[in-house]
Amino acid sequence: MFGTVNNYLSSVLSATDDYDGEALGTHISLRDVHVQNHNLYIAQPEKLVERFLKPPIDEVVSAHLKVLYQLAQEPPNYMEAYTQQAAACGAVVRLLQSLKDENWCLPLMYRVCLDLRYLAQACEKRCRGFTPGHVLEKAADCMMACFRVCAADGRASEEDTKRLGMMNLVNQLFKVYFRINKLHLCKPLIRAIENCVFKDSFPLPEQITYKYFVGRRAMFDSNYQGAVEDLSFAFTNCPDRFASNKRLILIYLVPVKMLLGYLPAKSLLQRYDLLLFHDLALALKAGNVKRFDEIVRDHELVLIRSGIYLLVEKLKFMVYRNLFKKVFIIRQTHQLDMDDFLAALQFVGVTDVSLNEAHCIIANLIYDGKIKGYISHAHNKLVVSKQNPFPPLISL
Amino acid sequence: MAQVKGSCQSFCPDGESKMRIREKLLHYFELKNGQKNTPGVLVKEFTRSAADAKMPQAKDMRTEQSLTKTVEYLLKDIILDTRKPYNVVYDFIFDRLRAVRREIVIQMFDARQTIRLLEPIVMFLAYSRYRLSVESIEKFDPKICNQHLQECLTGVLCCYEELDRQSSTTTEEPTLRQLERRCYIEGLYQMFNLGSPESFVRALTLPDYVRQDATFRLCFGICLSYQQGNLYRVLMGLPQLPHILCAVASIKLQGIRRSLLQIFTHAYNNKQLTVPAPYLLRLLLIDSPAGLQEQCRHYNLALTPDRKSVLFNKTDFRQSAETLSCRHEPFVESKLARIYLPEVLLLKKI
Repeated sequence: MFGTVNNYLSSVLSATDDYDGEALGTHISLRDVHVQNHNLYIAQPEKLVERFLKPPIDEVVSAHLKVLYQLAQEPPNYMEAYTQQAAACGAVVRLLQSLKDENWCLPLMYRVCLDLRYLAQACEKRCRGFTPGHVLEKAADCMMACFRVCAADGRASEEDTKRLGMMNLVNQLFKVYFRINKLHLCKPLIRAIENCVFKDSFPLPEQITYKYFVGRRAMFDSNYQGAVEDLSFAFTNCPDRFASNKRLILIYLVPVKMLLGYLPAKSLLQRYDLLLFHDLALALKAGNVKRFDEIVRDHELVLIRSGIYLLVEKLKFMVYRNLFKKVFIIRQTHQLDMDDFLAALQFVGVTDVSLNEAHCIIANLIYDGKIKGYISHAHNKLVVSKQNPFPPLISL
Repeated sequence: MAQVKGSCQSFCPDGESKMRIREKLLHYFELKNGQKNTPGVLVKEFTRSAADAKMPQAKDMRTEQSLTKTVEYLLKDIILDTRKPYNVVYDFIFDRLRAVRREIVIQMFDARQTIRLLEPIVMFLAYSRYRLSVESIEKFDPKICNQHLQECLTGVLCCYEELDRQSSTTTEEPTLRQLERRCYIEGLYQMFNLGSPESFVRALTLPDYVRQDATFRLCFGICLSYQQGNLYRVLMGLPQLPHILCAVASIKLQGIRRSLLQIFTHAYNNKQLTVPAPYLLRLLLIDSPAGLQEQCRHYNLALTPDRKSVLFNKTDFRQSAETLSCRHEPFVESKLARIYLPEVLLLKKI
């Protein structure tokens, strides 16, 4: 594509003159076909570029050509390519600042930041000599500079404000922060979006990504109600053709909902190849503590990698609750012998359990409101309420 | 900045020794037999990097060997010195070890060197955190100690990770002893951060040899139970931990007792029925009826007149009460009494 550098540069120039941000974005994208054009691999393109373009856009383009040059080396020099991309990002910041009341160049910014993140990830994967996460963190700093310019553009009208670019950047930053495990840095970004007057007019795809990450963060903060709301929004609005994305959302949505007392439908799990949760749900329903532990152990790695191990472990007391409810149903009385609960635990295969532990587990369930009643230590009995002794979990 | 490599062979560089002897700035433990103005063994003091301070030179920095010897001297000779109360001993060692830590940074030691020096420092801080937890705030500030302990721990953990990364490129195998030490320190990190999701997630992603280590698994089991909310298992697990780990874990004990008592006020909530004291003593790891009475008084739980059982009432529990302060638990004390402290702190035997 473009053939010569001159052709390429004049094409960039006309995109700039037309205020065509999308086209400009394509011109500096690392995913566009032009990156295969060998004529564009130039180590020092500044002089040439300056003849066509005005600052600061010339810096962006020069840096982009240098990135192409570094990536064309054998082997590709990712670290240097990243440095040049960061320079491009810096130039974009200056470009944004120089354009008052205009936001046509936002697509350019999206593209530069996206490629910056990809390059940082490539460095993390292939280069050595720095602590892991360091390059990504630096990349996040560059994106933050863009974000600050966008967030501060409060005076322009709603169509022209650069604040419209905030959510795209926030999503990029989320991706970095989740990868380097610095979730606390998400907080100010969320606040900035939530305080935005037109937060519902961001493009739907961006909102879906945003809600997905905000939901996951709420999950880590043990704010399960909030997590369900955000993740459900993401799931219902995500179009069906993005099955892998829907699956990703479900990996978090399903266990959080389980924790709130909703069991997932098998057909749904089947469609997204998540039958692991079906097995878990069956064990949970049956109150089979041993089976539950086995499933968790067998899928330990998957659960750890997706970051839901801890969440799934928190379901354990619900398994106990369901088992103990079965004891109540069998006995048909409101005064239940504590030894029956111990026997039930032993029946499902929990061997290392004592009467004292059974007491403590039930005490915990009462404290959480999952069982209504009290324990009489002297009679070794659990006395449950006449009304609704095991309130439905969704009502808690 | 160029790397400075220390050349000083003693505990304290000559320049500092001369200055401090001249200015009579010696600590009690640096005087010969405690006599006034008679210098004994001096150890380099901690000083902050400041704009007016000169760039440290090679002769002001100790060699790695000399740093190791310094740590050994402090944790062998000084720590057993009983002429002064332990909080004075702690202040002295804390300061001198901080100087060691500073030199690790300035001299840019590699992961292996850093681990060797930091591990004993972690052990010392952990031990002191427990031992001094009963002192008043004027004598010991647990918050500052926590901060430094956490800082040293994360420092060591980062070095372990670096070694993990290097292990794919080098053939140098860690010795069994080094692995054993790592497992112990990883366990210590878990117990010190009991209840924190971040540290728990770390435990899940550690290399297999750590996760399969018996001591580490014990710690992991306790943390998992804690996350699940099964305080019974946490309490039953604590006394099984070895010495220093047990001591660090016991710092959390009062909080766990409080939570369990609060749960019991709901579970055993009844105007007539009581719960026998021996049962509570066993579950809460309290050794004497007096200990239980103290808890009851503090959280406003009623005892029966014969003091042999407790009446739980969920509305009476004093939510506003601060958690009782740490104490020296007999099951920890008996473990600590059986060890030779320097050996354990220097991780010669764990």
